[in-house]
Amino acid sequence: MILARRASLRSAIFVAFSALILAVLLATLGVTQWLVGQDAVRELSKGLRTTGQVFASQLEERAIRLRTSSTLLASDFALKRVFATHFDPARYDAETLASAGLSYRQRLGVQLVWMTDEAGILLAASPAGKPLGQSLAATAPLKQAIDSQAAVTTIVEVDENLYQMVAVPVLGPDVIGFLMLGQIIDDPVAVRLKKDTHSDIAFLTASHLFASSWPALERPERVRSAAAQLAALPATSNGPDPVLLQSGHERLLSLAVPIEAHLSQPLYALIQGSYDAALAPLHALQWRIAAIGALGLAGALLTGMLLARSITRPVGTLVQAMREVLRGNLRHRAPVERQNELGFLASSFNEMVGGLEERERLKDTFGRFVSRDVAAAVLSGRVPMAGERLEVSILFQDIRGFSALAEKLDPAALLQVLNRFFTEVVTAVEAEGGVVKQFTGDGVMALFGAPQASADHVERAARAALGIVARVARLNVALQSSGTPPLQIGVGVHTGEVVAGLIGPDARVEYGVVGEPVNLASRVEALTKELQATILVSREVAARLGPRFVLGRSAFLPVKGRAEPIEVVELLAHPAGA
Amino acid sequence: MPGQFLNRSWLALLGLTLMQPAPAARSVSGSVTAPQGSPIADAVVFLQVPPPAPAGGQHPTALVDQVEKTFVPGLLPVVVGTYVRFPNHDQVQHHVYSFSPTKSFELPLYKGESAPPVLFDKVGVVKIGCNIHDWMSGIILVLPTPHFTVTDANGKYVLDDVPDGNYTLTVWHARSNVKPEDTARQIEGRDDVANVDFTLTLSPARARPAVHGSRADP
Repeated sequence: MILARRASLRSAIFVAFSALILAVLLATLGVTQWLVGQDAVRELSKGLRTTGQVFASQLEERAIRLRTSSTLLASDFALKRVFATHFDPARYDAETLASAGLSYRQRLGVQLVWMTDEAGILLAASPAGKPLGQSLAATAPLKQAIDSQAAVTTIVEVDENLYQMVAVPVLGPDVIGFLMLGQIIDDPVAVRLKKDTHSDIAFLTASHLFASSWPALERPERVRSAAAQLAALPATSNGPDPVLLQSGHERLLSLAVPIEAHLSQPLYALIQGSYDAALAPLHALQWRIAAIGALGLAGALLTGMLLARSITRPVGTLVQAMREVLRGNLRHRAPVERQNELGFLASSFNEMVGGLEERERLKDTFGRFVSRDVAAAVLSGRVPMAGERLEVSILFQDIRGFSALAEKLDPAALLQVLNRFFTEVVTAVEAEGGVVKQFTGDGVMALFGAPQASADHVERAARAALGIVARVARLNVALQSSGTPPLQIGVGVHTGEVVAGLIGPDARVEYGVVGEPVNLASRVEALTKELQATILVSREVAARLGPRFVLGRSAFLPVKGRAEPIEVVELLAHPAGA
Repeated sequence: MPGQFLNRSWLALLGLTLMQPAPAARSVSGSVTAPQGSPIADAVVFLQVPPPAPAGGQHPTALVDQVEKTFVPGLLPVVVGTYVRFPNHDQVQHHVYSFSPTKSFELPLYKGESAPPVLFDKVGVVKIGCNIHDWMSGIILVLPTPHFTVTDANGKYVLDDVPDGNYTLTVWHARSNVKPEDTARQIEGRDDVANVDFTLTLSPARARPAVHGSRADP
């Protein structure tokens, strides 16, 4: 249970720590994903818009080049001469004009050359195919050029192809005709633009794809997604935001830039960048963050574990110490390793155990010199402070010839013999519920019926006397085998009313009994030497012993301090107690 | 188109409206204005009379000078059969040309007075330019009559030495939206001094394209 709680405390700290770190890590990843993702899309959108601007300016550049070269060409006097032939039916020769047109195409690197008269009637076309004599005056860009008498550039569709077309007046010195040059916008153009801008580009209306840098294989899918994008465009939209398209397995950010052109439907340049490619650095970043996070998490877990252990280990040590104390080892102390709450707890614990030990030591001290029962009774407060009159039995015991023995044995051996002896005596007394009140050097004084009152204290005292004799007899057997002379003892028992209570100054107060019976008991014991008896009891004792006690001789003997002799009876045995 | 006024049908019409000349000395004057009343300069007012047959191979002559890379005058009315010389008084050479069906010619690079005169033997408008200087532009209006004049800055004109008889008086302007034949006004023979005012609507003057717009050498 304690271990389980300890483990759960550690777990709780550990789990809380880990959860916190994990939450921070996940939050970091989430926030990163959100921020960087937004940023990536914004950057990509910005890139697409820039590309759109670059592209628009390239288109403008092309238009300017086309206008410049066409104007230059239109100023060529030879061209003017060729144009002027149409004024004279005799000199007008469409084939010659067309072949001149071919030469201009090659000079300028354009794909279309048309020549009209000043009213817009087609005079010649290269490549051939356009019917001559038809009026182009109503078609762009010629209409605007006729109206303005100046060069005009626009984007038109010719035979399902997209052309950047310029119409420039030929002056001689007034307008004598118009030169029209067309530069195709086809796939290679889109591919070149892609090389410059790194974005895919397509030119298309809602229903027709004119040119693109899209790989041939992806084209159908791209056209499908682009058509959806164009269909969703607001009609008046001038520069919408890029939209995210799913084209096959790839996600594209696609910007539709309206292109000014003269077509039946609005023309758009679709500028597309790979959304997935734009997010690739984000994913790389996320992997790095995740790796760093994992390292951090591992570190944090380790730290958490160490922290948990640093908290629970002293607790565990304390618990160990408590269990040690529970087992009775009051000398055990918990180590105080830190100057924190745990250290305070350990030292408080130690103080508590110190207090317990002190009390236990006192109890032991009482026990050693008096009796555990007395000590316990005193400590528990069962002994009235005022004292009381009690009838008790008092047992005195003495080693006969002790002085001779003391001289024979060295001190250590003597004490050893004495200790073994007293152990037997105390055991015998306590076996009958008596308490050893006093050690007299070579004997004891024991009380029965106090402080623990009992009705049969007389018989208990008698049985204890027999017990002492029996135990000493067994001890003598052991002592004899080690060469120590046997111990001869005498035991006297008397009963009577005494005053019992705590006697002595405060610091040295002890439980004791006083009264004549105590002295008489001592006298009875002293008579054993005289009568050569082992146990003598007073007449009062003998009168109250049951029939099973075996009594021996009796005698009236004078004693010190008494005018009249007292009657003592020899106690021999008690078959049940033997 | 300014270049379109003297087309073939107009010339045919011109032929039909010719009247017999009568020797006399009278004058016709008046003004040419826009509908709002602003004067129109450089309008050519002419009487439609047949030109006198060149006497003994004598042709009238006229001159379009080239000064500071400009044709002077910019508008030159002549009677059909006139020889026009194009002296060049600039320090640079010029290459005068015309692609006009009325008179197509070229005077390749020259300076001074070395260019031969050009005979304008057909009635119509001849637009002249310089191959070297795109902005140089001029008009020679070849008329079927010696009786013509040009309005001044105030749009006024005076046509002297008008012979007796009934004539048609016509006005022409390079930017007129009105066909010359539609401007024709009858002059009665008994009027000593006739005052005839014309109203013309002009196309807005158009700035020439930038590459043609500078008279100065860069």
